[in-house]
Amino acid sequence: MIEWIARGLRTGIVTTRYPKRPEHPPAGFRGHVDLLQPEHGSSELEALCPTGAISVATDGRVSLDRGRCILCGLCVAADPERFAFAPGYETAARQRASLVAGEPGPHVLDELRATLGERSRTLRRSIHIRHVDAGSDGGEEWEIQALTNPYYDMQRLGFFFTLSPRHADILLVTGAVTEPMRAPLLRAWETMPEPKAIVAAGTDACSGGLAAATGTTAGGVDSVLPVDVYVPGSPPSPIALLHGLLLATGVLTREAAA
Amino acid sequence: MSAQRLRLVADPVELLQPQLAAVVEGSPPGERRLRLPLGRLDAAVEALTGRGGQLAALFPVNTPEPSLLAAVSFQGELVALRAPLDGAREYPSLSRITPAALLPERELHDRYQLTPLGHPDLLPALSPDPDRLERRVVGEQTFVIPYGPIRSGVFESIQYVIETGGEDILGLHVRPFFKHRALEQRFVGLDFDQAVQVAERIAAIAGVAHATAFCQALERALEVEPTRRAQRWRVVHAELERIANHLDVAVKLAEDAALAVGVARFGILKEQIQRLRARLCGSRFGRGVIAAGGLAEAPLLELKTVLQALDEFERQLRRDRRLLLGTASFTDRLIGSGTLDRATVEAYAGVGPVARACGIAADARFERPYGAYIRVGGRIATVDDGDAMGRLRVRFHEIAESLHIIRQAFERLDKYGPELRDELPAASGAAFGWAEAPMGELIYWVEVADGRLSTVRISSPSLRNWPLFAESFRGDVLTDFSFIEHSFGLTPAGADR
Repeated sequence: MIEWIARGLRTGIVTTRYPKRPEHPPAGFRGHVDLLQPEHGSSELEALCPTGAISVATDGRVSLDRGRCILCGLCVAADPERFAFAPGYETAARQRASLVAGEPGPHVLDELRATLGERSRTLRRSIHIRHVDAGSDGGEEWEIQALTNPYYDMQRLGFFFTLSPRHADILLVTGAVTEPMRAPLLRAWETMPEPKAIVAAGTDACSGGLAAATGTTAGGVDSVLPVDVYVPGSPPSPIALLHGLLLATGVLTREAAA
Repeated sequence: MSAQRLRLVADPVELLQPQLAAVVEGSPPGERRLRLPLGRLDAAVEALTGRGGQLAALFPVNTPEPSLLAAVSFQGELVALRAPLDGAREYPSLSRITPAALLPERELHDRYQLTPLGHPDLLPALSPDPDRLERRVVGEQTFVIPYGPIRSGVFESIQYVIETGGEDILGLHVRPFFKHRALEQRFVGLDFDQAVQVAERIAAIAGVAHATAFCQALERALEVEPTRRAQRWRVVHAELERIANHLDVAVKLAEDAALAVGVARFGILKEQIQRLRARLCGSRFGRGVIAAGGLAEAPLLELKTVLQALDEFERQLRRDRRLLLGTASFTDRLIGSGTLDRATVEAYAGVGPVARACGIAADARFERPYGAYIRVGGRIATVDDGDAMGRLRVRFHEIAESLHIIRQAFERLDKYGPELRDELPAASGAAFGWAEAPMGELIYWVEVADGRLSTVRISSPSLRNWPLFAESFRGDVLTDFSFIEHSFGLTPAGADR
């Protein structure tokens, strides 16, 4: 056992300082897709996307729904002038509509980003998370588990996983919600005490992703339960999940004050 | 000597043709296709499994006509026994011959309304109801623990129905398909580039293996060989995926034993591999790399950088591995837990580390070599223990072997031309493709019509191994459960599809 302790100490600190300091993803990381040129699109662009994330209005205005985007890069390969991968990880949003790039509207994300570091410092209470897999591809689970490894160490921000939904503040849902998982998911949500929040983790949870069109899923968590924070990504990186959880704590503190 | 040896090896075609009036059909190398009447399918499967063959896949196909197809892995080849259905909805059950058919036949019955006549236990498999629990053990003071679908911890959804008298596990039923997304159906009508995205997302943690098996099936169906450079890079991505999966098992086992520093150390090692994969291709899961006909994009890292990272990784791993396997409070929980015997694993046609921990040298990379594995040498890691410890030891051997394979794959890389991809023609065809996923052999059956997918069927290693998980509880108690489960390293997403 002494040897283990020595091994642990020798490792030193590897933990990210996010959200106090920005995290630097590696060059070429596929964090999300940017829409470089939203004007003058032809309707053929829509066919590039297997999940229907790209839509073109009649005036040629292109919009990209990140809540549907599975980061496959088929649009980037076909039209690199218009679409490009960006390494950014602060992709989560409070409203489903703010995941749509290229569409004029409120960008809640920008103002929230500024207050994130502040909020995590003043976070005094501990937030307990219950994860429910409602039909994911298994990738989200790996990334959620990674949050407890020393690189991300979500406990330092006051986040803990809990086994019982009765102790949970946040329900972290992955997957498009398959038919057999609908009832267990609803039951977990009902047993959670108020105040509570739902985070939809991953594109499948946000919109159904590729599984939306099969008719065997509900096509996203928000068709079953009211979602508070959407974390798109296929799967979202651990930092993106951490960002989403920090957004969700805003929901909790506001409701507790009311 | 060699002539004598040749006579000993039974040729499947010779074996079946006179007895069963099977018709030999043309096929790409590595697979043999036989057509036979539906009523003879069980006898044919029996002839092959009786001589050491293993039922690898069972599903209905549509090319050239609606048929029931049973694929038997037999002496280094995949023997496809295709029985035209001709409107029939019933067939003699294969479960009477091999228990490997029990679960697939239940699935076929629910999904395609194909009834296996004489199946001993035809309960519904799809759309499970978490509140309706089947019981088989009867007796006073026995009760049922429904464990799942939402389970303690961050795990994928599956339900285990545990029958117990309080401590001993008397019976266990595995209930997958809570996560069934009908993704085989999702392939239909897609072009090749879009279809690969679906394959990668059937099981994210084995996405590279899925994409490889799928693309190889396409390439075999359309008779295109990907470039040597692409084949070598596919091997590198596949082996990194294997390392990450095996480390994930080590993390989970250390967590079960409450070995805090062990969890942290192996978590660090796994994260290092995931980050290396992200630096190499932009995705922590190797997505968007493999494409039909080769590779989608050139790697983002120099060979030298990858090798340096792996050298450093190996140095760290050696110390942590020595510490972990030398910690008695950890190994005590694994030794003798969830023991499987070789005969059971062979009967259920188990694959992957589960089979290799019982001394079965089953590994698609070397049994039916594909891509660059034809040229890259490797050793199948086997041990004879059959328990959770044996499965962990196999995994550690395989990590070392994977590093060795990656280094070999890099050796000749600069001698090959720069071409990464050959375009596939928009033609028609049908073929099998396979790859050794971290959980075991993964098999795809793909039918293409004019450059679009018309039928895709998957035989998943997780689904093949899950019945063995239920078989592995011999004298184990409830507290062993999570150790045994994690030592299997399976994924519900891959099984449910």
